[in-house]
Amino acid sequence: MKKVIEVCTRIEGHAKVNIFLENQNDEISYVDFEISAYRGFENILLKKKLLDIPKIASRICGLCHVSQSIASCKAIENLYELEPSEQSVLLRRLLMIGELIKSHSMHFFFQSFPDLINIFNINNNRELLLPYKLIKDYPQITSNFFDLIKIGNEIDKIFGGRAIHSITLIPGGLVYTPSKKNTILSRRYFQKALTNLEFLIEKFIEFFSNQVPPTEYMLPNPIYLALHDQKTYDRYTGLLGIKKKNNKTVNFFGKNYSNYFDKDINLRGINFNLDENVLVGPLARNKIVENYGLDETSSYLSYFDNNWKNNILFGSFIRLIEMFAEVKKGLEILDDPLLNKKEVLPSLNSIQNSDGIGYVEAPRGILLHHYHLNRENSVDQVKLFIATEINIPLINEMITKYAQKLYEKEDINSVKKKIQMIIRSFDPCVSCATH
Amino acid sequence: MKPKFLITSLTGCSGCIATIMSLDVSPQLLERSKLSYFPFMSDIKTIENIDIALIEGCVSEESQIEHLKTVRKNAKKVYALGSCAAFGGILNLSTKKDAEPISNYIEIDGIIPGCPIPANLLGNCLIRLIENKEIILSEKNLCDSCPLRGNIEHDFDYKINKLYPNPDEIVSPEENSECFLKRGILCLGPVIRDGCEHICIKKGIPCEGCMGPVSKDFTANIVNFLSLVKLSKDLKGYDGIFYRFSKPKFNW
Repeated sequence: MKKVIEVCTRIEGHAKVNIFLENQNDEISYVDFEISAYRGFENILLKKKLLDIPKIASRICGLCHVSQSIASCKAIENLYELEPSEQSVLLRRLLMIGELIKSHSMHFFFQSFPDLINIFNINNNRELLLPYKLIKDYPQITSNFFDLIKIGNEIDKIFGGRAIHSITLIPGGLVYTPSKKNTILSRRYFQKALTNLEFLIEKFIEFFSNQVPPTEYMLPNPIYLALHDQKTYDRYTGLLGIKKKNNKTVNFFGKNYSNYFDKDINLRGINFNLDENVLVGPLARNKIVENYGLDETSSYLSYFDNNWKNNILFGSFIRLIEMFAEVKKGLEILDDPLLNKKEVLPSLNSIQNSDGIGYVEAPRGILLHHYHLNRENSVDQVKLFIATEINIPLINEMITKYAQKLYEKEDINSVKKKIQMIIRSFDPCVSCATH
Repeated sequence: MKPKFLITSLTGCSGCIATIMSLDVSPQLLERSKLSYFPFMSDIKTIENIDIALIEGCVSEESQIEHLKTVRKNAKKVYALGSCAAFGGILNLSTKKDAEPISNYIEIDGIIPGCPIPANLLGNCLIRLIENKEIILSEKNLCDSCPLRGNIEHDFDYKINKLYPNPDEIVSPEENSECFLKRGILCLGPVIRDGCEHICIKKGIPCEGCMGPVSKDFTANIVNFLSLVKLSKDLKGYDGIFYRFSKPKFNW
């Protein structure tokens, strides 16, 4: 069997695709999306001091650092059987909103938008758009996205102490009480974000709602997994839901995750014991959540039919919708009088449980940290469940099918190029996946 | 002529690259330079005629060495972007993986440290590089302009028994301006380079050392400093301090 390797571009981190050919190179047997350079944070976090762990866990990823830190803080709070104050939860939510805006906008602008333009031939068949060309051809969309990246960044800087690897996120709560000035500033940022998002959502509808999305990008009926709060969109708290082919959702508490999925930390991948591959992330949230708590989102979504809604390319639109819904939520939080109350954080003194489990929905999907303590209360086992790792089997299923079909009429170079568009539409986070 | 930039990453979290994308000066960077190689946002795979190469991440895999050498051969100047590229970084906490600074394999023209790099520092460095000037890093330690400095004279006779304050003991400098070391909490400020604007300290959190030392070996600086204070037995045995961003460099 011959192996053809292609390094992926325009994704976060290093990855490649391996295309395996057989029958005198006439057929593609399978394709696999390979991420290398595993770093071993499950090993790094062993024996670390509990107050130190979230700071180290943040370094798993420079894009999903808020989610990593919060999942870690929640796992430690679970060990102490402690609930952070309402104020701390609001502040954590604001940090998650900032992270989502930045992460989703970077993905949309640098990764998915150029591909969408190519797939639907919107720019009159011009070759793959380089960033400079993109900026030149779509100046207004570009500046809207740059603003959003900046706004996400500034929100995390205000509430996290710095934009990346937040200083304020600690087990027990959040070390920051926003001043009136910063609350007003944040409100301005969110208002600006809302205007930009309305423009971008309308542009998306204008460009793509009359198009028929290519069938190669259709999701092959995967199983969806996402956090939700009684079917309402929520990335901080709630139950985990697994939605199967028959459209039935099984809900469970994160602490019982091992009844549904688990991993062997010496091996790669997450085991689900299910017949189909699993999808997590914005599209999975969209499938499990019944509403975003807003009227506007339902009307925006109504422009697209089921061909779109079961297509991985629709993830790009859902990312815009999520940003819109979260910015609205952010504005609500900023109006909450609890936000500016001075409070003392709890003391972390007596450990109650030997297992600590914490989870949130990161921008790319469910993220769960599980720490186990030995008799000396030292961490002796760590399991990290990362969204991109969950999506990889589904990515492989889809790129293999697409590559096989393409190779019947196109050459291997075209296959190499086109399957990367499927990979990018999943928005893989290689840093997280190589934790 | 616009300077041609290369931005690439080895093993890391992409946080320093994410910092570049959200800088105030990033539109300027796009306008005043040419990003010739930047896989994060472009499909170009050839590396040639680079003026300034910025490399993020540590060397943890054999296969990265060849890429590094290609970059060095084709670039007039090479800078280590962030503490992973500069010192090895957080992965040095691993007992299973190597995490080396890029300078172990190629000659470099400078470092821009931090985990992540402070945005103002990075913005200033990038503008200087575009203008063909040398980058400037502070030669002072963090204590020099620390808001908790007061009139403290370091005699280093401190008993240090905590890595961080307990959450209920965290206070801002306005509420309690006593030096962390005096309170028995480890702060690496005395051996760490200034340049982060004391953002952790201003939030009531001591310095964990992400900017690295002003000079010489990272770990040696920390070991020397900690030999001056009375460190509790518990902390003496904690590798989360000593190997947090680097491992000692041995020159046999």
